[in-house]
Amino acid sequence: MKACLGVDVGSVTTKLALLDESDELVSHVYLLTQGRPIDAVQQGLRDIRKQLPQDVDINGVATTGSARYLAGVIVGADLVKNEITTHAVAALHYYPDVQTIIEIGGQDSKLTVVRDGIVIDFAMNTVCAAGTGSFLDHQALRLDMSIQELSQRALTSQTPVRIAGRCTVFAESDMVHKQQMGYRVEDILYGLCQALVRNYLGNVGLGKELEPPIIFQGGVAFNQAIVRAFREELDTEVIVPIHHEVMGAIGAALMAHEEMATNNGISQFKGFEQSEVKYHASSFECKACPNRCEVAEISQDGQTLARWGGRCDMWERVSSTQLYSSEEIK
Amino acid sequence: MTTVGIPRALLYYQYYPMWKTFFEHLGAEVVVSPPTTRKTLTEGASRVVADTCLPAKVFVGHTVSLVGKCDCIFIPVIRSLKSKTYNCSKFLGLPDMTRAVVPEAPPILEIEIDINRGKRRLYQDIYKLGRHFTWNPLKVKEAATAAWQSLLDYRELMYRRELILPQAMEEITGESQTGLNMILKSQTVPPTTIGLIGHAYLLYDEHINYQLIRRLQQYDATVVTPEMLPGNIIEASVNKLAGKAYWTYEEEVVGAGGHFLESGVDGIIGIMAFGCGPDSLMMDMVHRHATRQKTTPFMCLTLEEHTSETGVITRLEAFMDMIHRRKQKGEAVCV
Repeated sequence: MKACLGVDVGSVTTKLALLDESDELVSHVYLLTQGRPIDAVQQGLRDIRKQLPQDVDINGVATTGSARYLAGVIVGADLVKNEITTHAVAALHYYPDVQTIIEIGGQDSKLTVVRDGIVIDFAMNTVCAAGTGSFLDHQALRLDMSIQELSQRALTSQTPVRIAGRCTVFAESDMVHKQQMGYRVEDILYGLCQALVRNYLGNVGLGKELEPPIIFQGGVAFNQAIVRAFREELDTEVIVPIHHEVMGAIGAALMAHEEMATNNGISQFKGFEQSEVKYHASSFECKACPNRCEVAEISQDGQTLARWGGRCDMWERVSSTQLYSSEEIK
Repeated sequence: MTTVGIPRALLYYQYYPMWKTFFEHLGAEVVVSPPTTRKTLTEGASRVVADTCLPAKVFVGHTVSLVGKCDCIFIPVIRSLKSKTYNCSKFLGLPDMTRAVVPEAPPILEIEIDINRGKRRLYQDIYKLGRHFTWNPLKVKEAATAAWQSLLDYRELMYRRELILPQAMEEITGESQTGLNMILKSQTVPPTTIGLIGHAYLLYDEHINYQLIRRLQQYDATVVTPEMLPGNIIEASVNKLAGKAYWTYEEEVVGAGGHFLESGVDGIIGIMAFGCGPDSLMMDMVHRHATRQKTTPFMCLTLEEHTSETGVITRLEAFMDMIHRRKQKGEAVCV
């Protein structure tokens, strides 16, 4: 079986998706990044391999998400794509007539406007992370409940209380205040969900035309209370795709397929064995100029595979070690 | 011989050839602070109150780096360049702010340019500046005329020969500007033209904009900047979009934006500093017109003191993808 693999390494979760030649989803995995993207990718490769038949032949690999360059080095990516594009590609694949894509992940929230099957505008949260998955996680933890429980209980609310959603700090103090006034936890939780949706629409969605069909994807779409709040606020149907949490990885796999088909190339995929290789990630401060860039490097068996993080390309070419007497500037 | 120090920040990008010619004609030597680095920014940020804007912090950092390298530092105040236009208060108070936060700085040479006060006052002010070097009014006049001519030459290099600002600067001053050489493109992909709008001190400071122009060129884009557009076209666009200009540097944002919306570039990217009052109004105006017009994609990038460039890169990549995929689709329809 020929297949394409998409790897999406986000701030909180890592997603892998495998599509066959007719772009059907064969299998996918969804696991926590836990601040260790290399381990997460390797674990993901291990997990997805278990679900696959022996004869699978990887024809193309693409990585996406905030750790896309790092993941790209580990798996040997044919294509490294930003998560805005991959999410749009996946949504358009399943819903060709989509006009609006809402995507909320661990630390980012994005809005993509599509007309006639073409992305015409997008926005991403700027300085504020209010309304992303991390904040909901944090609030669930504070109330000593799982994120699933938060979603379930918020759904039962009949008379939500108003919570300020402009800023996570204010939202939290507002919630504490409302708790101490004696409001029901369910109503406070749903009030929080509404506040996050309002904040999203007023921040990321500012000045954008949100026309239906609206697709809601990303990890936060698991939260039925947020989905309900979006439906009520927008007063329209909000579609949550079945595989909403791996849409980025699916989009990456679709783009890998497209890329390999147009270029007729041979995949750079390093094989599932990469999950057993020991990688070593480290960083150093370059002293070549006053910028003092923090250069990160990833190596395997003492051999540097890639470096990034520098303002110039001095370290990005791997062979730089020979060009510069590294002891002096490292 | 007196050495005049010029911080490589804010108005430097637009006027340096003029200032250099003026001071050199009066027998002074000119030194410019080295390009912005992380150290410049940290030094500047540590001296001012937290909500000072990013370009002003950079300016202070450059001033600090000039201490001990010159006998005086030149900090002009530009109030207005046309009648009834106004400038941001950070520009107006720049010499005073610098004196307050960089007490070890050498004497500061000031000149206030305010067209509202009439030409006579302008000439008096230029003479007052020149008097630091000579008592002879004729010499000052000669220096000022030469300076004006070099500014005109500099601008012409940009809009007639379409040189990007650092190239024009290099050609006219003979001083090499770090980086930003036009990359010769392979014409395998149809070129994408990106119109950049924003102030020169943001567009050409590679440290604070995360090498924006270089990155765009790597994505096979041809970059057009406000300086490459002739003044009369830009002015007409401002009048069309905003009525009469209110801000001194409105042309770089509203004027260029309006022109790009009409001239059919493939996309417009606006660059502004976080917390900039005038820019937040001007960018919004361009954004609204772009939304209404619906044919030209527009994106505004806000620069701040983030050390991570991920946010900017992700947005730039997505923006370029959007344009490329749009073009592909468009061509497919034509065939």
